[in-house]
Amino acid sequence: MRAHRTLIISLAVTLVLAVPAGAVGKRLIVGGSTSVLPLMQKLAAAYHKSFPKIPAPQVQGGQSDIGISGVASGRFDIGDSSRNPLPSDPAGLRFTKIAEDGVCIITNSANALGNLSEETVQGIFTGGIRDWNEVPGAKIGGPIDLFDRDNASGTQDAFQHIFLGEEKKISPSAQAEASNGLEQSAVSADKQGIGFVSFKFTGGVNTVGYEGVACNLRNSTSGQYAGVRNFWMVTKGPPKGEALKFISWVTSGNKTTKAIISSSWIVIH
Amino acid sequence: MLGALSVGVLALIGLMAFTVIDNAWPSFSANGLSWFGSGGDVVTQFRAMQSGTPLPGHSLLYFRAWPLISGTLVTTVLAVAIAIVVSTLAAIFLTEFAPAPMRRVLEPVVRLLAGVPSVVYGLIGILALVPWINEHLISNARKHSVQYVVQLNGQDLMTATLILTVMILPIMIAITTNALASVPGSWREGSAALGVNRWRTIWRVSVRTARPAIVAGAVLATARALGEAIMLSMVSGGLPFAANPLDGLTFLFEPVQPLAATIVKEFAGQQGGAVPHTIYAISAVLLVSALLLSFASWAAKQPLKRYGIGA
Amino acid sequence: MASLALGERTSPPAIVHPPRERTTSWPLVDRACYGLCWATGIGLCLIAAAILLLMLVEGISDLRLNLLFESPLPSLNQSQAGGFFDPIVGTFIVTAIGTAIAAPVGVALATWLSEYGRPAWLARAVESGVEMIAGTPSIVLAIFGLLLFARGFFAFLSQSAADGNVTGQSFLVAGTMMSLLALPLVVAATRESLAQLPLRLRESSYALGKTRATTIRRVLLPAIRPGIASGVVLGMGRIIGDTAIITILLGSSLKNQPASGTPIIGTLRGFGSTLTSYVYNNSPAGEGNAPQKAYAAAFVLLMIVLALNALVVRLTRGVEPSAAALARRRRVFSRLSGLPWNR
Repeated sequence: MRAHRTLIISLAVTLVLAVPAGAVGKRLIVGGSTSVLPLMQKLAAAYHKSFPKIPAPQVQGGQSDIGISGVASGRFDIGDSSRNPLPSDPAGLRFTKIAEDGVCIITNSANALGNLSEETVQGIFTGGIRDWNEVPGAKIGGPIDLFDRDNASGTQDAFQHIFLGEEKKISPSAQAEASNGLEQSAVSADKQGIGFVSFKFTGGVNTVGYEGVACNLRNSTSGQYAGVRNFWMVTKGPPKGEALKFISWVTSGNKTTKAIISSSWIVIH
Repeated sequence: MLGALSVGVLALIGLMAFTVIDNAWPSFSANGLSWFGSGGDVVTQFRAMQSGTPLPGHSLLYFRAWPLISGTLVTTVLAVAIAIVVSTLAAIFLTEFAPAPMRRVLEPVVRLLAGVPSVVYGLIGILALVPWINEHLISNARKHSVQYVVQLNGQDLMTATLILTVMILPIMIAITTNALASVPGSWREGSAALGVNRWRTIWRVSVRTARPAIVAGAVLATARALGEAIMLSMVSGGLPFAANPLDGLTFLFEPVQPLAATIVKEFAGQQGGAVPHTIYAISAVLLVSALLLSFASWAAKQPLKRYGIGA
Repeated sequence: MASLALGERTSPPAIVHPPRERTTSWPLVDRACYGLCWATGIGLCLIAAAILLLMLVEGISDLRLNLLFESPLPSLNQSQAGGFFDPIVGTFIVTAIGTAIAAPVGVALATWLSEYGRPAWLARAVESGVEMIAGTPSIVLAIFGLLLFARGFFAFLSQSAADGNVTGQSFLVAGTMMSLLALPLVVAATRESLAQLPLRLRESSYALGKTRATTIRRVLLPAIRPGIASGVVLGMGRIIGDTAIITILLGSSLKNQPASGTPIIGTLRGFGSTLTSYVYNNSPAGEGNAPQKAYAAAFVLLMIVLALNALVVRLTRGVEPSAAALARRRRVFSRLSGLPWNR
């Protein structure tokens, strides 16, 4: 009997504690682009540090399209997008620009390709050029292994618009990866690989210059490098409440956010 | 009270089967029996479901699982076939030919192979086996031969089958060893008395008597292979592709994505809507196959009772 | 027989063994199969040695003691940042919850099946049910857990997303589904141990006037403690090694993210990681891209699982084989010794 009583009391205490636990300290849920993810993680940590009473927003990935449709369906409070709004996006969404970012073409570090012209890039990614022997400046031979992103990716949208134009499509035999991190792993593991990632993900792989301009932070900031795209925070309608506080802090241009953004991304004015 | 608990556990199992099939029904009803057929690219179908725009001429739930099913079937059948041969030889070695010190080493070895978690097998596969196969077995010519359709790296059917075989070997070795050790000694003595040499005695008498145990072990191993998700999602290639046997030897190097690995890969991208229904449909297929295999293993164990052979 | 004088000793007659059978007398096919058997045996040892050596070399070269006590940092360059303290804590939590549910339920089920078991059709159904759970892939159990716990009714077990949808992913949910993995092992071990107890133990307890429930609680269960312990440890080993349930039901974040500020309950309701999901995430199949960390964590995981397996062997070895088992063993070996190749 004593054992039973202890059990009942401890269960009751647990339930009593659990129920209000859900109501206290609602944290923001931010999700979407895997390119915005590292930036958003840093911003969320710094936001919590500046305002210790507010719980740090929870940041997830999933790619830009998931972020946008997640905001529309209510799954996320704020969505991250690394592509510009499209007519096919759900209606009623508000896009707030927070930074800019560079998209780099990457190859394996064994293939220290220095530069590619627009023509070669289009030839490679549409499947016209199939072998590294046909690419000037390639340090290895053999068939080209293309790495693409999912259709839900904002980085893929950006790559399509900037590097391929509207008509040419990436070869269907390219292997689609679900995030920047996976694309980076895939290219760093495959000697004959070539792909494209957000600038932050270029560790351990070789970045290829485009049209004679190297893909680095300085060239992206100055505008010389062509592959630059926008980062957006998406809300359903104008931002309200906790989301408004967070977004206004991010876009306020204070020292903390400026320092974070300028570390690997481009500050907007 | 204990009886109520037991009924509760039964109810939980029933609830599980019911919920999975109930949530899977929309996907099956939208596609009918051709859910199991072929037609189009699985990746395109998933992306269409995720984005909410159906493919032209089809419903939002349009799905053709044949590449996944073929991947599952090929890896499982190949792995079990190799494992039957290897485990029978290993069990014969363990019970008959191994000197005592070797037997004392082999028993912990089999326990070790059984105890390694599947994610560690997957890690070893993807970090050690895949690069090796990529360097030494996949030549540029081979890559060129299929370049218009698919890209080859070391993550393919062969790696998946090899590691899957190692994973299911311990189960089969344990069952076969038990059965071989329980063969009545008088039968083997009779065979020896007739002048049959040792190997033939083992093969014709012991292994033949233990045949139901080998079958039961194979069924259990198939169930394990079918349900293996994590290791396969790491080494099998991640591309839902129906490997084409007409490609000759390259068939072994083509990427596949078995059913369970698909659940792991696609789970992250799901929202409300069509993708969950498809994932539950795949789970329902796995659940039903697991139930059928459970029943098959019970049926396979029945002949063992005839001779009192342990299994 | 020659006549013996009293006290005269004779030596026993000399035993003549015919020459041992040599494989050189066999046909080629048989010799080839014999060689194959040896090759398989040695091959198995080589594979196991290769796995162990690879994990040892790669794992220890990257394992530093501070890795075990640092939390993972949410940095992209995982190879430089943070350790795996959070995953170790996560593994511990999930195993604790899973075992805490599976052990009592498993023992209760096994006791009911073995001691009560009426009506008979229900007992058979429960037996088949437990076997079905044993045969279900863990990924299907994970999907079922998601379906079950993503309902509003179970909101207290996990956290809710922005629109009020229950995520159904937390330590509590993962631990509950893990208990289903360990359940069949506990039930099997307990049933086997209960079946090995002699009938007179129960009969003498009933003769003293004790009820069945008291007999079970005071006599039988204490007697089979090693058996239950080995079953529970086997279950723990299975829980620790499982990844599928973790990736689906634990939100696969790197750090443990509590759902709210409440000390223990917040962590239990929040997302987290375990060693298995940490290894998966840091392998090339996941985001972390830090193979060294993955190897180190996999090494720790492997050592834990092997230690648990050794513990099970130690627990079961302590059990005295029954007289019947000893007699059977004697019979089998005496039969073997008469064969022409064993003399």
